[in-house]
Amino acid sequence: MGFPFTPHPRETTVLSKHFGDAEARTLDGWKARGGYRALEQALGMDPLAIQAVVKDSGLRGRGGAGFPTGLKWSFMKLGDGKPHYLCCNADESEPGTFKDREIMRWTPHALIEGCAIAAHAIGAETAYIYIRGEFTEPLDVMERACEEARRAGVIGKNAMGSGKRVDVWVHKGAGAYICGEETALMNSLEGKRGNPRIKPPFPAAAGLFGMPTTINNVETLAAVPPILVNGGEWYKKMSRPDNPKSTGTKLWSVCGNVMRPGNYEVEMGFPFKEFLYDLCGGPPKGRKFKAVIPGGSSVPIITMEEADRALMDYEGMVAVGTMLGSAGCIVMDDAQSIPRQVARLARFYAHESCAQCTQCREGTAWTTKILERMVAGDGTAEDFDTLMSLAEDMTGKTICVLSDSCAAPVVSGLQKFRGEFEALITRRTVHTVPAIVA
Amino acid sequence: MSHGPSATGGSAISTAPNGHSSEPYVPVFTGETKARLDALLERYPTKMAALLPALWMVQEARGWVSPEAMAETGQVLGLTAAYVKGVVTFYTMYHQHPVGKHFVQVCTTTPCHVCGAEDVVKAFLKHTGCGELGVTSADGRYTVIEVECLGACGFATPVMVNSDFIESVTPEKVPELLKQYG
Amino acid sequence: MTAPTANTPMVNLTIEGRQVSVPAGTSILEAAKTVGVLIPHYCYHPGLPVAGVCRMCLVDVEKAPKLAPACATSVAEGQVVNVHAEKAREARKGVLEMLLINHPLDCPICDQSGECELQDYTYQEGRADSRYREPKRFNPVEDFGGDVMYVPNRCILCTRCVRFMDDIAHDAVLNVSERGDRAYIGKFEGKDLTHPWAGNVVDLCPVGALLSKDFLNKARSWELDRTASVCNGCSQGCNMIVETRDNVVVRLRPRPNNQVNDFYLCDYGRLNYRWMNRGDRIEAPTVTSASGQRAADWDVALSSAAAALKGKRVFVLASPSLSNEALHFLSRIVKVAGGKGAFRMPTGPEAPLPGVEDLALRADRAANGRGAELMGFERTDQPLAGLSQGDAVIVVDHDLTPDDAASLSHASAVVLVSTFMPAALARADVMLPIANYVEEEGTFTNLRGHVQRFLQARAAPGMARPSWYVLADLCNALGDRQDAMTAAQAFAALAAAQPAFAGMSYDGLGLRGKTIAGATAGQASLEVAT
Repeated sequence: MGFPFTPHPRETTVLSKHFGDAEARTLDGWKARGGYRALEQALGMDPLAIQAVVKDSGLRGRGGAGFPTGLKWSFMKLGDGKPHYLCCNADESEPGTFKDREIMRWTPHALIEGCAIAAHAIGAETAYIYIRGEFTEPLDVMERACEEARRAGVIGKNAMGSGKRVDVWVHKGAGAYICGEETALMNSLEGKRGNPRIKPPFPAAAGLFGMPTTINNVETLAAVPPILVNGGEWYKKMSRPDNPKSTGTKLWSVCGNVMRPGNYEVEMGFPFKEFLYDLCGGPPKGRKFKAVIPGGSSVPIITMEEADRALMDYEGMVAVGTMLGSAGCIVMDDAQSIPRQVARLARFYAHESCAQCTQCREGTAWTTKILERMVAGDGTAEDFDTLMSLAEDMTGKTICVLSDSCAAPVVSGLQKFRGEFEALITRRTVHTVPAIVA
Repeated sequence: MSHGPSATGGSAISTAPNGHSSEPYVPVFTGETKARLDALLERYPTKMAALLPALWMVQEARGWVSPEAMAETGQVLGLTAAYVKGVVTFYTMYHQHPVGKHFVQVCTTTPCHVCGAEDVVKAFLKHTGCGELGVTSADGRYTVIEVECLGACGFATPVMVNSDFIESVTPEKVPELLKQYG
Repeated sequence: MTAPTANTPMVNLTIEGRQVSVPAGTSILEAAKTVGVLIPHYCYHPGLPVAGVCRMCLVDVEKAPKLAPACATSVAEGQVVNVHAEKAREARKGVLEMLLINHPLDCPICDQSGECELQDYTYQEGRADSRYREPKRFNPVEDFGGDVMYVPNRCILCTRCVRFMDDIAHDAVLNVSERGDRAYIGKFEGKDLTHPWAGNVVDLCPVGALLSKDFLNKARSWELDRTASVCNGCSQGCNMIVETRDNVVVRLRPRPNNQVNDFYLCDYGRLNYRWMNRGDRIEAPTVTSASGQRAADWDVALSSAAAALKGKRVFVLASPSLSNEALHFLSRIVKVAGGKGAFRMPTGPEAPLPGVEDLALRADRAANGRGAELMGFERTDQPLAGLSQGDAVIVVDHDLTPDDAASLSHASAVVLVSTFMPAALARADVMLPIANYVEEEGTFTNLRGHVQRFLQARAAPGMARPSWYVLADLCNALGDRQDAMTAAQAFAALAAAQPAFAGMSYDGLGLRGKTIAGATAGQASLEVAT
């Protein structure tokens, strides 16, 4: 459903079916809605068989990278004698994205169930759900749900009487966007600064506490129970006929200048134009859409011409020069200044850079300073070249992709809305103070 | 956290007084709090992993994380004070200085920015009497800061007051909202 | 990376057109070094865990989608690495520009100038100008305690210092504080860099951010003459470089040697140099006769000394910081004349560097106690015990306690071979001035039996001569023929006569030394036992 609004008939509610339904938050309520059947089933299955079902479903990571989930699980070497860990990435902090928050607020047991199944499938006895510290309500709901499930023996040292141990613990973050990066999250969970790690080693070889680890997004894990109950084939069918690479339903967070902001669950391949105008209600009265950042702030901005022909799946978004990312859709209307918004985004990344890599630490801040100077009316023609050259330096050269994410909207903004930037410069104020030349 | 006019505003090295008082430091991790921490330690294979939760306990108990508390937390978990400080300063939610009785965080990242979050910030600064970001009001009741994405973009503008998460705040709603936080 | 063993398979690759064969697991950066290619880098240091954060060592690896950080990328069979590919050079140019945007560019007043990797790589491949037009970040200078000062504006956050304190010193007093471009190297108020090995962070810092307070504004690096030497502060024998300006020692720095001190030198050692420049030296040979003490030329002084010693039992009080060569010639005198040689060992608290195996500031605060013992000298608190009427004494660069001085009054003759005049010494029949160890060449034997050369770093004052040269001459004057015109000849004489040194040659020692046969075996079993 387009929570907080009533569901649109064209939505396919799998994950969002019980959003707004307070009873679904309790263990009994969840069981009454068919919950924990999948876990019961899974605990009786061979881990490899669970992996096979998930592989077959075509489920891909919903955190942004879109890596096939079943394949990721299969990297875990079962029976290697080491403790394995599952991390659930609930550090949802990509601007524009707020879907995991609703999953945790309304269907905490869906996530616990998904975690427990995944833990069993990768040979882990412990799962940590890392929730960002600002999510006070989801933290509270998840803590209570875990406690309830633990008391009822659904999880714990003898999960559902299966003799298998599955502990699920909630871990509270403390304010750092970068902890949504998987290796930064592991460092943070270990009690360190949230610095991303160099890969290799990959988490499946040496992750949390140096042990084999799988890390999955909230939405990914919450999708696992219905897949197990209904089968991979069922999930796979929810896709474009001409694109089997993106399957299932996807929660889209929609925000910005739109009539009905909220979370919408649609099948992969849904037409973006219809989505924006029919489901989300189009632009505010008297306004027109101008640009969309469809996959969270880290993906390139697209124009409405591009948005109108986009299809809402991984490949469909790539086809119009952007990415599905975390499906956090930021819509901007014709009252917005693109340079101003790009500058604001750059500032976000400058604030959140972990400070490890030179290009990110210095580049995000420098980019922000240039953009803010341009917005303040003090830009020069050379700034275009400098920004593009900085973006080049910040792309593909650092440990993680935070600096790439800062560069993406800058480059796409400059390319697609260059006129707005140029207007800032032609109108620019005359220097009264000589520029400081380094 | 940077609140200056540019993304890099503010001197990184804090020379501000830390609210040191002449009273002797009272440890946080005693009695029930210590028992809670001990229980927590069983969830993790290392003591260090309990650092973030332990710092949360400190902040709950004291309202901020003082240097003395960093040293104590380090001692309890077998870490140096400098290490703990490095971690504390990485995460924006730990207060390195005392803040007002009600700590107001207004999201101003792009999705909220396009929906007018700046005006919400202004309304808070006006109605709390803080006047400036990061400054505690004269009566000690409020501190207002801008915060990066709170993850509730569809409910612009989300605001956190202490641990309460309030959605869809507009400048007009601010005076009424503040009445709940006297 | 775990250390390669004999069974580690070799990997073949091409770096800058050169064929390279290295053990699997080697980084591209280290592999390149083996064929003389230095890949620019800041955060990487062979003694520290890999951080991979400065992004300066980005190189082009053919068929790889992205540039690879050479420090954090292991070699692979058939890899073709182009360090100077256009896109790699552009990437590094970008890094250099960014490292300088907030840098104060204050090279004229920076101690690091001339030995600064930021300067070096910027000259080598950086931009000629900067495109940065915004205000620069500013943070005040901070005293980190110990001998270390932090200039955050020059800091590139490579974190070598933080990693050294964490992983090598096991005393995590430094951290990275804050994040983004507000980040800086921080410490906790009241917890200083007082670890006995903390001074190494100054050497590890590739730029002028961490400076030695002791060396502050003392000299420009290009005015310094550098000499390979060995620290004589304790029995560890850390390899070091003596830096002099106009014949004055101004700084001691570690010289890497993975058999002894890895890359490090302790604070005690590095600050223990002022005595090398002391002005109150014995500068001319003297002979004391009925008419009083007179300056003499070397021939007269040596024959007078021989005359004073001849036919007597000779006690030698020798400093445990004398070279093996000097001790050898002294042992000859003892052997020929009968008598004994002894020394007193100054001691202090031991201070290990836990991250490096078998490295510590040792309790024995002299360089060559082991050498002295091998040469038959006795370590004792009563070095003149047993001295009887009629015996002669040679005091060689050894300080005297009042008790020693009292014992000396029984001696029939006292010959002082020394750099300085011991305060308690009442009389010396002959005084022979010698060079201190940074004014001469020679070898020390460390506590594990590792024999290492040190070279001459400054000129000796007045008529002072190398200790081994003087003592060989004294042997000759006593009729014991010794040939020691050069340090190599002196060592050859030692190696021929002392069984422990058999088979060693001065040239063969090189600048990293050789271990006495059998000396480490005992140590190895000791380590296994503990």
